[in-house]
Amino acid sequence: MDRRSLHLLLILAMLAIVLVVHLFFGFHAADLPNLIAALQRFEAQSYEEAVLLFQRLPRTLIAIYAGGIAAASGFVLQSLVRNPLASPATLGVNSGAALFLVASALLFGASAELQGIAALAGALAGFLSSLAVARLAGRRNDPRGLSLILSGALVSMLFTGMTNALLLSDPARRAEFLSWVTGNINHVYIDRLAMFWWIGALSVAILLLFARPLTLILLGADKAASTGVNVPLVSRFAIGAAVLGSGSAVAVCGPIGFVGLVVPHIVRPFMGNNLVHALPASLIVGAIVGLAADLIAREAFYPYVVNTGLVTDLIGGIVFIVIVKRFYLSPGSREAS
Amino acid sequence: MIRGGRAIDGKRVLRLAGGLQMRTGNLLAGACLVAAALALAALATGLGLTDTGLADLFRTLAGESLPGAENYALWTVRLPRILLGFMVGWAVALAGAMLQSVARNPLADPGLFGFSQGSMTMIMLLLVFLPAAPKSLVVLAALAGGLTVAGLLLWLVGSERSSGLSIVLMGIAIETVLSSFGSLLILYLPTETSIALSEWLAGSLFQANWTVIAAFAPLFVLSLAAIFVLGPAMATYDLGSEMAMALGEPVGRSRPLILLTAVVLSSAAVTAVGPLVFLGVLAPHIAGFLSPAVARARLFLSALMGGILVLLADALTRGLGGSLPMPLGLSLTMVGVPLFIIALRLQALRKLQSH
Repeated sequence: MDRRSLHLLLILAMLAIVLVVHLFFGFHAADLPNLIAALQRFEAQSYEEAVLLFQRLPRTLIAIYAGGIAAASGFVLQSLVRNPLASPATLGVNSGAALFLVASALLFGASAELQGIAALAGALAGFLSSLAVARLAGRRNDPRGLSLILSGALVSMLFTGMTNALLLSDPARRAEFLSWVTGNINHVYIDRLAMFWWIGALSVAILLLFARPLTLILLGADKAASTGVNVPLVSRFAIGAAVLGSGSAVAVCGPIGFVGLVVPHIVRPFMGNNLVHALPASLIVGAIVGLAADLIAREAFYPYVVNTGLVTDLIGGIVFIVIVKRFYLSPGSREAS
Repeated sequence: MIRGGRAIDGKRVLRLAGGLQMRTGNLLAGACLVAAALALAALATGLGLTDTGLADLFRTLAGESLPGAENYALWTVRLPRILLGFMVGWAVALAGAMLQSVARNPLADPGLFGFSQGSMTMIMLLLVFLPAAPKSLVVLAALAGGLTVAGLLLWLVGSERSSGLSIVLMGIAIETVLSSFGSLLILYLPTETSIALSEWLAGSLFQANWTVIAAFAPLFVLSLAAIFVLGPAMATYDLGSEMAMALGEPVGRSRPLILLTAVVLSSAAVTAVGPLVFLGVLAPHIAGFLSPAVARARLFLSALMGGILVLLADALTRGLGGSLPMPLGLSLTMVGVPLFIIALRLQALRKLQSH
C-alpha cells in the first residue's frame, strides 16, 4: 500500500470519529445503545432520540455537504486560478450567492426552489465580477495575483453591504434571513439540502471526472493540449462546476466562509497536487473541518449556540493571515518575485 | 504683508510675511470645500419628517422660541448629527491621509487596516469584563485596541519594502477575524447593551448628542494643531523614508508620533460612531483629484473632504432612504467600494503612462 492510500484511510478514520462525536456528543453514555437502535430504525421513541434524528442528523448532513463542497471547489479554484488565496469565500462566490438569494426572496417573493437558482446565478455573478474588477484595476506587474484577491474582497464587501441593506429595508422578513446570512448550519435547513443536494453531487462528479485532464493543465496549458486535452473547455467546465457547487452550498445554509481556503492547504502537503488523489481527500477533509467547526459552534460557547459561519471566519481569517505571511511576505518569496 | 508670486514649479502661490507660502489653487479648493460643507450642513438641517430648517435655526439664535417638535428635531436630532458627522469624517480622513504618507501606500485606511475593528473589539472586551467601567476607560480601551492592531500589522508585514496590496489584504484578514470575534463577544453581553451595540457596530449617527460632541471637540482642535505640526513631515515621507532621513526628518521620532496621531484620531471616531471603512482612503483621493497638494494643504483638504463625504452620505440616506434606517457605515461601504475600484483603476492607468 502506498503512502497516499494510507493517508486516505487515515482521514477516512478521522471522518468516522468526528462524525460519531458530532452525532453523539452531549448524550449520556447509558442512552447510547437505544440511540443507535433508533438511528437504525429511523424512528424516535424518546426526547433524546428525537433530538438525535431530527436535530443532530440534519446538522451533520448539512455540515458534511457544506464543508466537502467548499473544500473541493476551493482546491480546484486554487489550482486553476494559480493562487494560494483563492476560494469560494475570497473570490466573491459566497457573497454573490447570498445577495442574489436574499434579493430574489425579498424583492420578487421567490419560492425556495427559485431562491436556489438565484443563488447559483449569484455565485457565477460574484465570481465574474471579481474577475472583471481585477482586470479593470489590473496591474501589469502583478505576477502573484494579489489584485484578484483584493478585487474578490472588495466585491464581497459590496455584495454583503447590499445584502444587509436589503435586509434592513424589510424588517418583517429580516429575522428569517438574519442568521442565514452569516452562515448558519441548522436543522431547519434540511429541506433546502433535500432540494439542492444533487447540484453539489453533480458538480463534484464533474470535478472528479475531469481530475486527470485538470492535473495535466496544471503542468502547463501547452503540455495538456499536446496530450489531447481541450484546455479552455475543461477549465471553464471545472471552474463552472466549482462555482455552482459552492453556490448550492450557500443556498442550503448560507455562506460558510474559508473552509475552501483552509482545507487545500492542509491536503496539499500530504496528497500532492494531483487532483486524482487530492480531490477525494479534499472532500473528506472538508467534511471533517465542517463537522468540527459546527461542533465548536454548537458546544464551545454553552449555553449559547453560535452560527457556524462565525467559527469558520474566525479560524479561516487566522489561516489567511498565515498564508499571506508565508507566501507573500517571507524573505524567500520576495526574492522570487 | 501678503504678496502673490510663483513657486519654483511655476504654480501661483501666496507668500506670507513669515516665509509661509500657500498655493493659490489649494487655497481656492479649501475655500470651495468649506463653502460646500456649510451649504450641505444648511441643507441637512432641513432634511427629515419635521418641517424645520435653517430659517428656524436663525430665529432661535435671535432669541425666539420654537414649538416643541421643531425645537427637538433641530437641536436634539439634526444639529448634533451634522456636527458630529463632520468631525468624525474629518478625523477618519485625516488619519487615512497620514497613514498613506507614512506607509507609502495609497490604499491605507484605518478601517481597511483593521484599526477601527481593533478599537471596537477592545471596547467590547471592556464592556464584557468590566460593565461598570467609566466612559474615560472606554476611550482608552479604543486607543489600546487600535494601537495593538497597528503593532500587529507592523510585526506581520515587517519591513516597508513588501508590496502595498499584501498589507491591505493582511488588514482585511485581521478585520475579518476581529469582527467575528466581536460577534462572539456580543453573545456574552446583556440584551439591552447588545442591541445598542449592534447599531453602533454598523457605524451610525443615531446616537449623536451634545455630550459626545463636547467630548470630541477638543480632539478636533488638537487635530488642527497636528496638521500644522506634522504636515511638513508628510511631504518628506511621501518620498520614502530614506529620502525623508536625507532631508533631515527625524524619522525615529516622527514616524511613531504620526502613527500614534492617526490611531488616536481613528479610535476616537470609532468610540463616537463606530467603524467607517473606506472613508480614510476615499477622502484623500478625491481631495487630491480636486486639487493636488502636499504637506499641510493635503492633510487639510483631505480632512475637509472626509467631513463633507459623511455629511453627504448622511443626507443621502436620510433624504433618499426615507424610512430606511440605513447605518452610515453601510452607505459608506456601498458608495466606497465602487469609488475605491475607480481609484485602483486610475492608479493602474497612471502606472501604464509612466512606464
